[in-house]
Amino acid sequence: MIYRENGQFKTSYRADQQIFPITQDRTAIAALLLFAVVGVPLLADEYLFRAILIPFLILALAALGLNILVGYCGQISLGTGAFMAVGAYAAYNFFVRIQGMPLIVALLLGGLCATVVGVLFGIPSLRIKGLYLAVATLAAQFFTDWAFLRISWFTNNSSSGSVSVSNLSFLGLPISSPLSKYLFCLAILVVFAWLAKNLVRGHIGREWMAIRDMDVAAAVIGIRPVYAKLTAFAVSSFIVGVAGGLWGFVHLGSWEPAAFSIDRSFQLLFMIIIGGLGSITGAFFGAAFIVILPIFLNRALPALGDLIGVEISTAAVAHSELMIFGALIVFFLIVEPHGLARLWSTAKEKMRLWPFPH
Amino acid sequence: MGFFLETVIGGLMSGMLYSLVALGFVLIFKASGVFNFAQGAMVLFAALAMARFSEWLPALLGIDNKVLGNLLAFAGAMVLMVVVAWLIERLVLSKLVNQEGITLLMATLGIAYFLDGFGQTLFGSAIYKIDVGLPKDPMFLLQNVFEGGVLVNKEDLYAAGIAATLVVVLSLFFQYTSTGRALRAVADDHQAAQSIGIPLNRIWVIVWSVAGFVALVAGIIWGSKLGVQFSLSLVALKALPVVILGGLTSVPGAIIGGLIIGVGEKVSEVYLGPTLGGGIEIWFGYVLVLFVLLVRPQGLFGEKIIDRV
Amino acid sequence: MAERKIGEVILDVHNISLRFGGVKALSDISFDVREHELRAIIGPNGAGKSSMLNCINGVYTPQEGSITFRGQKFSHMNSRQVAEMGVARTFQNLALFKGMSVLDNIMSGRNLKMKTNIFQQAIRFGAAEREESEHREAVEKIIDFLQIQAFRKTPVGRLPYGLQKRVDLGRALAMEPQVLLLDEPMAGMNVEEKQDMSRFILDVKDEYGTTIVLIEHDMGVVMDISDRVVVLDYGRKIGDGTPDEVRANADVVSAYLGTSQ
Repeated sequence: MIYRENGQFKTSYRADQQIFPITQDRTAIAALLLFAVVGVPLLADEYLFRAILIPFLILALAALGLNILVGYCGQISLGTGAFMAVGAYAAYNFFVRIQGMPLIVALLLGGLCATVVGVLFGIPSLRIKGLYLAVATLAAQFFTDWAFLRISWFTNNSSSGSVSVSNLSFLGLPISSPLSKYLFCLAILVVFAWLAKNLVRGHIGREWMAIRDMDVAAAVIGIRPVYAKLTAFAVSSFIVGVAGGLWGFVHLGSWEPAAFSIDRSFQLLFMIIIGGLGSITGAFFGAAFIVILPIFLNRALPALGDLIGVEISTAAVAHSELMIFGALIVFFLIVEPHGLARLWSTAKEKMRLWPFPH
Repeated sequence: MGFFLETVIGGLMSGMLYSLVALGFVLIFKASGVFNFAQGAMVLFAALAMARFSEWLPALLGIDNKVLGNLLAFAGAMVLMVVVAWLIERLVLSKLVNQEGITLLMATLGIAYFLDGFGQTLFGSAIYKIDVGLPKDPMFLLQNVFEGGVLVNKEDLYAAGIAATLVVVLSLFFQYTSTGRALRAVADDHQAAQSIGIPLNRIWVIVWSVAGFVALVAGIIWGSKLGVQFSLSLVALKALPVVILGGLTSVPGAIIGGLIIGVGEKVSEVYLGPTLGGGIEIWFGYVLVLFVLLVRPQGLFGEKIIDRV
Repeated sequence: MAERKIGEVILDVHNISLRFGGVKALSDISFDVREHELRAIIGPNGAGKSSMLNCINGVYTPQEGSITFRGQKFSHMNSRQVAEMGVARTFQNLALFKGMSVLDNIMSGRNLKMKTNIFQQAIRFGAAEREESEHREAVEKIIDFLQIQAFRKTPVGRLPYGLQKRVDLGRALAMEPQVLLLDEPMAGMNVEEKQDMSRFILDVKDEYGTTIVLIEHDMGVVMDISDRVVVLDYGRKIGDGTPDEVRANADVVSAYLGTSQ
């Protein structure tokens, strides 16, 4: 009843093509953004910012980037951590070596470096497909793991590959409090999400999806496979690189190559699988899920243990996390392989009809 | 020259160990079309089972004889792996028949995480020992040709022998038995195999059990060499380039790929490493595979992928 | 509706041979296609008809022979170049985006004509929005033509097979092709659906002047709507001419029906 599009007629193609054609959606998103900018700062405490909100925003951004490559263009990548690392270390070098370099510019330049590396490692995708490509992308992961550890120029001659940054600011305003960090990341995420959504609903998005769904047949309808694949790698790496920079600069403050290891790559992959491949909202759902789950388990499991009188050690919690994580992934893949985003859109469709059954 | 030979032989040996793990990948892929990311976790799980059973079972049954104890532990671990295979088939594979490759891949990744956590919950997370009587002392070969001789690890030699035997047996199995043929049919097309009456679920249990067996053997050998600890599951990440290099569907390819990468790693680390800052082993295999794939996208021995429109 | 006169040779296939390993899919095939005509390729299953289309289209590269398109000779075609030169095609197995709407599927056929770069698309306001609306208009015309207005927002995967085939045709039409290769557009259709599809195909030929190369199994349809026919059997050409000539050809009859003993 509430969610019906009845009566919402469009009189121009432009109106029909907008991101949120249904009025209720537009209202909801506006309300969400308002809450995110005004409501959350009023309600959240420092822990919430540090442990949940900021990681969520940054990882959602990275998941967004990865989803473009894997979900929209169908190129499996297991080396996302590498591109985050490139973005972070490149931004670090620009920030530290050039006097007066603004933070935002350093981050964007870091993203551009990640783009270059991304396109380089994307070239194999022109010849190699599927599983083989997945393993080839691991080359990027392990190579950058090594490079940032051993090639000291990258880390300003730090011996262990660990670096740190301080004095972050944006347009003169310092970014040091959790609130300011949160707002900074939120702003970047919203802008990037909007740009990404525009791309995937434009003709480049259709080219990406043609490569994913039709591959050989895509060239027959005039798609340029080379251009499509390399742009997917480029755009994806750029976003992931910026996210990497944010992760290092804003979330961690100081980091080492291990922050961007293969575990990170798998984590991001899980986010987009659980959240929903080929969906912008999927990145958000997936990131939220993966960020909140360990924290939830950390609280819930000992509490559960107390309830039944069993002492659950931290090691046991860690192991249980692995098990529950693994089981959940399998569960999702069986029950809803298109992820939370599909569950969400199914729910919305039911809402359209509610209270009628069909 | 003697040192070079030593490096090469050392590489061949470690290559064989990679191949052992790679074999498990190839088996499952060849027979069910699934790329099993959980292979490493299976190696760890099997090794943990073996290590702990070899402690618990003799104590439980009051057996003093080491060989008997190890045999019992092996049997116990094998039974466990079959149970695991059955559970995986029941709970995961049968529900995901004919899903896309990436879905199955992700499912095996989920299984890997689960097995990691489960293994450590069941068996503990300290470092455990496996001792099946593999001789650990080094040998010195060709002492009359090279001064001091060439150092070869007896343990690695045994491992190589075991791996080679496994390869031969498995190749014969796939080529010449009716079960082997059924397995190849399943790998090709699940639904088609089902429609001609091949019992998909039984086949999968068989395959994953055999892969479990290979994982157990690999786990014992690696475990007795390195001790059984969490990092064992990371061995799978080392075996991946081997699998891809050899081609996902080739059993001999897994061996040859292993040898190439084993030797390549050691030689490049010793001779290239110092100039590049050391530690290049972690990426050498992967970068090598990348270049090979650019020339031959299906790996050295894999089947050519023909896209039909 | 203008009856266009059949014009000069637009597509010429010379001595094409295609092998897959040991299997010879096509042996020494030659025929031509004239502008504005409807040329059918027929033959028993496995005769090589789809392979022939794939060679014209650049999906397969023949080991021998060449293809002349509008006077330009090619020893092998590149799919994308072929598309740019104005050749579109439908697929036997419907390479459609199952998850996307009819509208988006047909819009993907306009890709060749969409010129805004990636930065303009990212911003969307201005040039990219205008271009998208412009091409939307062209696609809506095709949707009207194929009478699928009611389904424009439905995910293609949910449509019945006959309608999916229409969407496939729509996407090919969106490319505004000069030559349209149709690979069994009526496979799996009932009589009414076949009549509809035949009407659409003839309308395309008449209204847009498109040259059509059609693979089809239904003899009735072929004889009814085509101007000339090529007959293939086991990768060889065994007949070439008007429907009546081909129907009378003894080789063709025996290939389809077997010779009586």
